[in-house]
Amino acid sequence: MNNVFGVIVISSFQLLLVLASAPLISGIIKKTKARFQRRRGASVVQPYFDLAKLLRKEVVVSPVASWLFRITPYLVFASTLVIALLVPTVVTPVPLHWIGDIITVIYLFALGRFFVALVGLDTGSAFGGLGSSREMSVASIIEPAMMLAIFTAAVTAGSTNLSIIVARLSSTPVAMLNPAHLLAFSGLFIVTIAETGRVPVDNPATHLELTMIHEAMILEYSGRYLALIEWASQMKLVVFLALLSNMFFPVGIATTWSPWALLVGSAAFFCKIIVLAVIVAVVESTNAKLRLFRVPEFLMVAFILSFLALILFFIIGA
Amino acid sequence: MGIIHLSTIGLLIDIFAAAILVTAVLIVSSRSLVFYIRLFALQSFFLGAVALLVVLGYGETHILIAAFLTIAVKAIALPMVLTRVIERIQVRKEIEFSINITASLLLCAGMVILSDSVAQSILSSQRGEAPAVSRVLSVSIAMMLIGLFIMMTRKKALTQIIGLLTMENGVFLSGLSITYGMPLIVEVGIFFDIMIAVLILGVFVFRINKTFETISIDSLRNLRH
Repeated sequence: MNNVFGVIVISSFQLLLVLASAPLISGIIKKTKARFQRRRGASVVQPYFDLAKLLRKEVVVSPVASWLFRITPYLVFASTLVIALLVPTVVTPVPLHWIGDIITVIYLFALGRFFVALVGLDTGSAFGGLGSSREMSVASIIEPAMMLAIFTAAVTAGSTNLSIIVARLSSTPVAMLNPAHLLAFSGLFIVTIAETGRVPVDNPATHLELTMIHEAMILEYSGRYLALIEWASQMKLVVFLALLSNMFFPVGIATTWSPWALLVGSAAFFCKIIVLAVIVAVVESTNAKLRLFRVPEFLMVAFILSFLALILFFIIGA
Repeated sequence: MGIIHLSTIGLLIDIFAAAILVTAVLIVSSRSLVFYIRLFALQSFFLGAVALLVVLGYGETHILIAAFLTIAVKAIALPMVLTRVIERIQVRKEIEFSINITASLLLCAGMVILSDSVAQSILSSQRGEAPAVSRVLSVSIAMMLIGLFIMMTRKKALTQIIGLLTMENGVFLSGLSITYGMPLIVEVGIFFDIMIAVLILGVFVFRINKTFETISIDSLRNLRH
């Protein structure tokens, strides 16, 4: 099945998988958090209904908003979809792995972030500007931390292509226990929490002006625009969990395109990201939101962990 | 000789050494005295684990006693004593810094690089195949530097003790990595030395707090007059 048809089928399968599972994963996180607070919580499929409702609602656009406001939701959604095509989820190598490597992925994230930050400024609301400035100052620390963590894996595999990194690692399982690897994993985990706006850094559940970062920027959005942005950030979470699980523990990932391998790969993928999602929820429930001025210190720990990972790679060797 | 395969031992030593380095860096990144003590206990536990692995992998049985002493004294007894001191003097206040956390962490990263380059030049003069544990040398030098750094930049009397103990852990680790540990009599001597030192320092901290109502070392300058 190594042909154009196969590439299309596998790529659409992967896209649909990320698209469809993203609301579920965020539903699972919300449910786990509710359980920690001894609430029953909304059903895990609630985010699907929320998205469906938002897609039907009318869009209200501020009269001072420019064209940026209208294209940004599509841009963010599209760039996240491209990332979803590049990150190995159930199968490695992904059919379209030649489009770009890990640096492309990092900059596609940066592209989405750039436009969302611009939109925060665009409508002229005080909260938007506040959110944009916070987002950018946080990003200036997490981007290098993320790069260092990923480069550790890249140096081990001798390639910056995500699919090759994952394939190398799944063929040599002992390398998963390499200390440099474990450190890079913890660094990237903190980056994930920061990038997806989770509790010690940002709180996705509140609109409190003292703390919000991501929510402040998208405060002006409504209707289908809001649905697209929310869906994109849910997919971003899934993509990060996929990076964490497959770049560091690619157990069970499919290496061929046979239906059976894909089935096993999907099952393994879901098990891994659900476990990670529950861990994220536990971290969210057991930690208090950090004061904004403490956030750089917390993110610096991620940076140093990733940095030590890279150093340890050269000290100890892999 | 070894019960477990040597490459497994090497991998486990690498993992524990990385964990030791991470605890040292986390100590620098933390703000509360309680965390300092807990992280130190964890660090000593990992150190004891490395020592046990050296026993298992290289058949150096004389380290066995030192390994158990490390876990018993440094990972359990000393943290308990220090926690008691904190409870007695009732300071749960945050640690004061002369260099802030972000800059400290960057400096620590620099120290790790420095110690690696020093360790590489020491190891490269060695002849023959180096055992896995010798790779730990750079971690141990980094710990000595980080311990010294903690003593220099954190302004509480208790953090001075933790800095000293971190340095001592670094010395023990470097002994392990170069010569599979020092002779038992030296190790035991160091242990009693450290233990008595910490007990006396603990009493000191208590008295300092009673006299000055603070354990910030800035106030100790008053003693000059």
